[in-house]
Amino acid sequence: MPSNRANIEPYLYLLPSLLILVVFLLFPLVWNIYVSVHNVSILTILKDWEFVGLKNFIDLLTEPKFYESLKLTLFFAGGSVLAQFTIGLVLSILLNQKIQGTNIFRMLLIIPWSVSTVITAFSFKFMYDDNFGILNYLLKQMGLDSVGWLSDPNIAIWSIVLTNIWYGTPFTILFLTAGLQSINPLLYEAALIDGATKIKRFFFITIPLLRQFMVTNLILITVWSINFFDLQLIMTGGGPLFSTTTISLYMYRQAFEFGSFSGGATIGIFLIIMNLLLTLTYIKIFNRRSKL
Amino acid sequence: MFSSNETHIIKFLQPKNIAILLIIPLSLFCSITVFNPVMIINSYSQEETIKLTAIFAEPKERWDILVEKALEKLNEIHPDKKIQIEYSVLPYSDTRTQILTAMAGKSELDLVSLDQIWLGEFAEAGFLTDITEKTKVWNKSSDWYENNWLGGIYNDKVYGIWAWTDVRALWYWKDLLNQSGLSPEKLKTWDGYLQGFKILSEKLTDKNIQPIHLTSANHVPDMWYPYLWMLDGNILELRDGHPSKGKYWFPTYNSKQGVLALEFLRDQINAGIKPQINHFWGQEFADKKFAVMLEGSWILGHFPKEEWKNLKEKIGLITMFPVPNNTTKTSTMMGGWLFSIPETSKHKDLTWELITIMLDPEVLMPMLLKQGYLPTQKSIAEGNYSKEMKSTIPYYEELISLIPYAKGRPNIPEYPQIADHIRTAIEEVYQGADPKQSLDKAVEDSMKVLGWK
Repeated sequence: MPSNRANIEPYLYLLPSLLILVVFLLFPLVWNIYVSVHNVSILTILKDWEFVGLKNFIDLLTEPKFYESLKLTLFFAGGSVLAQFTIGLVLSILLNQKIQGTNIFRMLLIIPWSVSTVITAFSFKFMYDDNFGILNYLLKQMGLDSVGWLSDPNIAIWSIVLTNIWYGTPFTILFLTAGLQSINPLLYEAALIDGATKIKRFFFITIPLLRQFMVTNLILITVWSINFFDLQLIMTGGGPLFSTTTISLYMYRQAFEFGSFSGGATIGIFLIIMNLLLTLTYIKIFNRRSKL
Repeated sequence: MFSSNETHIIKFLQPKNIAILLIIPLSLFCSITVFNPVMIINSYSQEETIKLTAIFAEPKERWDILVEKALEKLNEIHPDKKIQIEYSVLPYSDTRTQILTAMAGKSELDLVSLDQIWLGEFAEAGFLTDITEKTKVWNKSSDWYENNWLGGIYNDKVYGIWAWTDVRALWYWKDLLNQSGLSPEKLKTWDGYLQGFKILSEKLTDKNIQPIHLTSANHVPDMWYPYLWMLDGNILELRDGHPSKGKYWFPTYNSKQGVLALEFLRDQINAGIKPQINHFWGQEFADKKFAVMLEGSWILGHFPKEEWKNLKEKIGLITMFPVPNNTTKTSTMMGGWLFSIPETSKHKDLTWELITIMLDPEVLMPMLLKQGYLPTQKSIAEGNYSKEMKSTIPYYEELISLIPYAKGRPNIPEYPQIADHIRTAIEEVYQGADPKQSLDKAVEDSMKVLGWK
């Protein structure tokens, strides 16, 4: 029978990690919930906080702008994830071929992801400029009308999606390349001997063995896209009108521009729930497919 | 049990021996410090090292000039102290957030630079120190332009001192107007401004220069207020009957004057002026990408200092926002920065002393001259120091003459949200909405924020 010490020992080893999780993850989460059920604003932050129960949540759910920002988040995250994943998958497969110079390409393709978001945002902001941006300059040279990349409310969100695709795709390439390189080449050789075509090898070897990497990648880029607001903040500040105010930017503006910390915290809780639900959905879908 | 060496050590570590060991160096130290004055000062000054912390808004250069001089003077006044300042210089938007988080976290902070519109919410939140009594003793308020002094007051208490200001006016490139055959005089009225745009458009088509600048950036309300004010309209008015406060601010910017002012912006769009979402605070004008631009006096800072002497030959200034007709008095908006002492400061007196030194014309003026800022103190603007200001800053006298026509924005806590409502209304009009409807909708939102609904 193991001694008491032996029983406790594994938990002691886990203690540092658990402490870090409690301090940096659990405490902020609980604190956020606490703030969301109180009336905390710039004017009351140094005073007693009034308990308001679910009022902030009700206010949020009855605010039309919240639904507008939710719709914009779906456009932003949906567009970004779809394009980042598709382009990333195609490029990572291409770069996994035995072709000379793939390492140089891989290195070049990772550059956008290594650039800070602030620099990315400013660079694209200048490129999208209505009068002096390179894009409209090229359109003019081709005899076409200039486009209000960031000034037209119907186009602005897609211009930012394009920027996010440029910025985020390298991560998918890097991640899926790592997955592709973990597949044993002998499997392909065996399939080749059995007469499997390239397409069959892709669908029956590559995709199933890459599934776990794809799920993780999809979860990560979806959560990042939903939480991301640096690009929108710098490039448009949420405008014109409300056309680029995704939910994360809406949260930031509530808390730091309008001083409603409770409002910001409430949206934060909603974001966490949304991210958790999406993660679970991804896992369920992929698990179901793998069982099939 | 113990070796002979260990026994000797244990014997030596008797309490009596330890006491002797401590007393000898202590008495030696005391006798040296008592009879050596240099040592006394040094030991005292070491105890009195004071580090002040501050958060300022960019650009950094202005603070470097100001702080270095002021700190030198402060240390001269206090030879018994070694005073240092550790300051962070942040971009405009980050400054507010950083001050907010520092205050919310009750972090020790001694000095902050505030935009005038932040004063109300920070004061109301209890972030700022009431310096009313200190300013009374200082007795310099009469040297400030009235509007500038009032900008530091919230609920009848002084929370900040407006250090320097700026005014917005109409700048143009003389050669471009000449080539287009457009007289600057034409730009003074609303109709003339729109006609001027058409003339410039025709002549500048092939030059990749935009005729007239119209902002669509986040601060777009700032460029609409002067039109509202010149028509005698107001953003807010004090009214009785507030549900919880009795008398409080009521949004009135959807008045007849407000609608007229916004119609002029709509007319500019209809004439073909493209609203600019990117704003480079006058750099685009200095780069000659626009022929005409309504911009703050800080625009001068974008031109190299060696060009200042002959700048008047190249660029022209019309000291006004265009007016609907020649009988209307123009208006403009003034900005600038205030010095405030956060409530969390542990060195309030010393920080106040530092502020007064920073505001001393001898200390402040070199920075104003270098950056091209306008003073808030009459003694600098009009008094003995004005001669140097006039000879250094291009169009100094003209810019100063605009101050009586200039107004500041409301500094109440709800202002950031109200400005956002106005911004939305203007952007809607840029997209083709009716000015009256957009302003009415914005006022509805502002009424909610102000507690009228």
